[in-house]
Amino acid sequence: MHEQDRAMTIAEAVLAASAGADQAQVQVTIADASYARFGQNYVTQNLESQQTTISLTYYIGKAAGSVSSADATPAGITRIVAQAKAIAQRVPPDTKFVSLPKPQTYPSPVPSYFASTAGATPDERVALLVPVFARMKRSNLTASGFATTQTQSLVVANSLGLRAGYTGTNCGIQVKAMAPSTSGYAESYALDVAAIDPAATAERAATKATVSREPFDLAPGRYTVVLEPSAFQAAVKALIEGLDAQDVLDDQDSWMIGRLGKPVFSPNFTLRSDWSNPQLANPPFDPNDGTAATTFAFIERGVPTAYSVSTYMGNKFAKPITGVTNSMIVDPGTKSHDDLIGSVERGVLISRTWYERVVNPRDASITGLTRDGVYLIENGKLTRALKNFRYFVSMLEVMKDVEFSNRAVLCEPELDLGYSCVVPDAKIAGFNLAAQTSFA
Amino acid sequence: MASYSAAAARVLDSAAHAGAQYADVQFWTIRSESLFVRNGDVRDASDVRSIGYGVRALVEGSWGFYGSDRFSDADFDRVAATATAIARSGSTIADRIPAVTPTARVVASWETPFTIDPATISVSERAKQLLAVEKSMHVAKNIVAAYGYVQLWTTTKEFYSTTGSAIVQTIRQAGAQCGATAIGKDQDAQTRTTPDMFYQGGGWEVVDRAKLADAAPEIGREAVILADAPRLPSGTQDVILSHEVLSLQMHESIGHPLELDRALGWEANFSGISWVKPTDVGKTRYGSELLNVYVDNAMPLGMATVGYDDEAVKPQRVTLIENGVLRAFLSSRDTAAQTGLPQTASTRAQDWASIPMVRMTNIGLVPHEGTLASIIAETKDGIYVDGMTSWSIDDHRLNFQFGPQIAYAITNGKRGKIYKQPTYVGVTPHFWGSLDRVAGPSEFVVFGSASCGKGEPEQNGKTSHACSVARFRKVKVGVKADA
Repeated sequence: MHEQDRAMTIAEAVLAASAGADQAQVQVTIADASYARFGQNYVTQNLESQQTTISLTYYIGKAAGSVSSADATPAGITRIVAQAKAIAQRVPPDTKFVSLPKPQTYPSPVPSYFASTAGATPDERVALLVPVFARMKRSNLTASGFATTQTQSLVVANSLGLRAGYTGTNCGIQVKAMAPSTSGYAESYALDVAAIDPAATAERAATKATVSREPFDLAPGRYTVVLEPSAFQAAVKALIEGLDAQDVLDDQDSWMIGRLGKPVFSPNFTLRSDWSNPQLANPPFDPNDGTAATTFAFIERGVPTAYSVSTYMGNKFAKPITGVTNSMIVDPGTKSHDDLIGSVERGVLISRTWYERVVNPRDASITGLTRDGVYLIENGKLTRALKNFRYFVSMLEVMKDVEFSNRAVLCEPELDLGYSCVVPDAKIAGFNLAAQTSFA
Repeated sequence: MASYSAAAARVLDSAAHAGAQYADVQFWTIRSESLFVRNGDVRDASDVRSIGYGVRALVEGSWGFYGSDRFSDADFDRVAATATAIARSGSTIADRIPAVTPTARVVASWETPFTIDPATISVSERAKQLLAVEKSMHVAKNIVAAYGYVQLWTTTKEFYSTTGSAIVQTIRQAGAQCGATAIGKDQDAQTRTTPDMFYQGGGWEVVDRAKLADAAPEIGREAVILADAPRLPSGTQDVILSHEVLSLQMHESIGHPLELDRALGWEANFSGISWVKPTDVGKTRYGSELLNVYVDNAMPLGMATVGYDDEAVKPQRVTLIENGVLRAFLSSRDTAAQTGLPQTASTRAQDWASIPMVRMTNIGLVPHEGTLASIIAETKDGIYVDGMTSWSIDDHRLNFQFGPQIAYAITNGKRGKIYKQPTYVGVTPHFWGSLDRVAGPSEFVVFGSASCGKGEPEQNGKTSHACSVARFRKVKVGVKADA
C-alpha cells in the first residue's frame, strides 16, 4: 500500500497547486508490470517496467486543459499545473460539462492485493515456465506465451473533495502449444500468483495441440457451438461495446437503441456490472473520475435493462449516474463444461478466437476467426479436430438460443476497452461459421 | 552535448558491474498533444509528457529489459542491476538460441524534417480550425454527431551502449481526421470520415496537408447518403481500393506477415505466425507481377522514419517482394542473424517502458502507371471502395474480411450508385495474385497508422504504407452476418 500512499500525496500536492482552478481533477497511477515472454520453448523477451502517471484536468468555467506527466517533483507539479491552466485559458468551453463528481461514499473493497504477486522476482517468473517447456518437449511441441505479474496503485482526487484509492495485483500465464498444422491454447489468470498452476495450464494446451493433429475441413455453415470462456468473452464484446450512455445517447450507434425493456435474448442470458466480484476485485469506483461503482444488470434474463452512465453523460442527459463500469459478469448456468458439450448432437467446440471486430454496432454483428483448438462434437463427444473458421454473426440473433456452463472464469483483461470479464462457457445455436481459413 | 550522457554512463557501468556482457540505455522525452472536438465542443485538449529510460542487458545471449521513470543515482543502479538479473533469469533455460551481441559503435544525431513548428500554432487557433471543420459537416438534420481531431508527437531519444554508441534523435509525427455520423429513415447509423490513416512524419504541415476544411462538407453529405443507401449486394466483382483501403490491406496482409519475429514463432501466442517462412524467400509467389513492395525507414514523411532504429541500425531500402515473389522480411539484429536475412532497421519500442521488438515500419508499394480516373474509366463492372469501418484477418495473415465505409458502383467506366457496408473477403496470396492495376507516381501518397498493436504487453507502433490506388479482379464482396 506504500505506493498508493505516495500516489495520494502526489495528488494532494497537484490539487494544492491548482487552487486557482474553478474545478480540478487529478489521477495518479503507479504501475509495475513484468512479463517473461517465450517462443520456441525459451524466453525471447523478459521485461519489467515501473511507471508513474500524473494526469491533471484543470477547469476554468467549462473550458478544460489536460496534462499528463511522470514528474512528481515540486517543479514538475508547478509545470503541469501551469500547462493545464494555459490550455484551459485558450480553448473554447465544453458547453455540456456541468461538474466533476462530488465526494462519494465507497463500499468496502474486496481483497485485491497479494504480496506474493507484487513481490515476484524474475527467477520466480521464469520458474513458472520450466514445467511448460518440459511438457512441450515430451510431446515434441513448441510453446509461445508469457507469464506476467502486475501491481497497480490508482488514486483519483478532485477539488470538490472526492478522494478514491485502490491497489491491486493480477497475474497470469498463457500457453500456446504448437506443432506443424496444429496448435492448442490454455490460460490461467488470478490475483495471487500462488493460484497459478503452470503445469496444469501447459497440460491443457499440450493435450489440445496433440489431439488437433491432422485437422479436417468441415463445410462452413450454421452450427451449434460451444465457446470456451476466452472465445465467448471475445464474442460478447459486440454487445458490451454498446452498453454506455456515450454509445446509446450521444453517438446513437448502440444495439440497445429501441430494445430497452424488450425480450431480446434467451432468458438464460444475464450480463451484470459487478465491481465486487472476488475474481475481478476491481476498485469500488470509476477509475475515470472516482464516481462510486454500482452493481446492476445490463441484461436481465434476456431483457436489456440498463446502460452505464458517466458523470459527464448523466449531467448532459439528466440520467442517473452509474459510473463507467469496468467489471463484466455473465451469470453461469447449471451444466458442467463436459455436460454442455454432452448436450450437443452435432456442433463445434471453439477454444479461442482472434481479431474480433464489430462490423455494425447497431445489430451487434461481429466477425473474427477461430484459433488454437477447434473440434467437431458428435453425439456429445469431441470426435475430430477441425481447421479454423471465420465467423460472422449478429449477437442479437444468436444469443436468443444460448446456454451456459456452471464455471465462470476470469479472462484476460480487455485493456484497450477498459474492462475485465468473468464468463462461463457458452453453447450457442445457429452460429455462422462463414468460411474456412485454409488456402490450399 | 547530450543531456543524459552522464546518467547513461552510470547506468551502463552498473549493468556491466552486475554482469551484463552488453547493455544499452535509451532515454525518452515524449510529448503527445491532442485536440478533439465533437458537436461544437472541445471535448479534449491535452498535452501529455512522458520521460523515462529503458535498459537492455545481455547475459549469456539472453536479454533483460527494465523501464523506469525514476532518475536518482540509486534508481539508475537498481534499474541496471534488475535488467541484468532479468536477463540472467532467462539464460537458465536450456536449448535456447542465443541473441547476438551487438558490436557496432554509432555516434550520430538526426531529426525529422519539418516546415511548420506546431508550437507556432496556438491551442486556440487549433481549436478554431477544428471547430470550423466540425461545423461544416453538419449539412443535414440527421447528422447526429461530427468530430475532428489533431494529434502531434515530438519524441527525443538518446541511445547509449557499452560499445560506445551515442545517438540523439528528435522524431516528429502528426495526423488529423474528421468524420460525421448520420441516421437513416430506418434508424440505421452510418459514419463517413476522412482517411483514418492520415498520419505522417513532420510538423503542423501534416495537419494542413490533411485538408480537413476542404473535405468536411462532402464527408457530411456522404454520411447522409450512406444512412439511406442500400447494402452492397453479395457477389464477385472487380474492386478498386482507395489509398486508405489499400494502405490497410498492405498493413494487414503484407506488413504483418513479413515481420520476421512472427515468422519465427516468437509472436505466435498473440499476434500469430505467418503464412510465409524465412525459407520461402526467393521461392514463394506472394502476388501478381505488379506486386513490388519494399521497406524504407528513411522514407520522407514516414511515421517510422528515423536516423537509427532502437538498436542502432541505420535504415536502408530493402526489397521485400519483387514482381510478386518474396525476397525479404522486416527484421531485427537477432532475427536477421538467426535467418541470414538482411537487417531492415525495423526494431522499435513504443516508449521507454517497452522492450524494443520487430515492428512493421515504413513499407511501400511501387507505383506503376495511370491514375484513379484512368483505372475507373477502364473498369467495365466493379466498385471503388473508400474509408474503413472494420477489418479482421487470421493469425496466419491469410483469411481477411474488410469493411470499407462506402462503395461507388462503376459501370462502363463511370462512377455511379453508392452502397453502404461494402464488405469484401479474400485470402492473401490469392487476393494479391488478382492485382491487375497499380496507379502511377502521380497517385502515390504516404499514409500511416499511429496505433498498430503487437506484443505482450501490447505496444502501439507507428507505421507507414506508401501506395497509390490499385484494382483487384473477381473479389468476393457483400458478405453478411446473416448469409
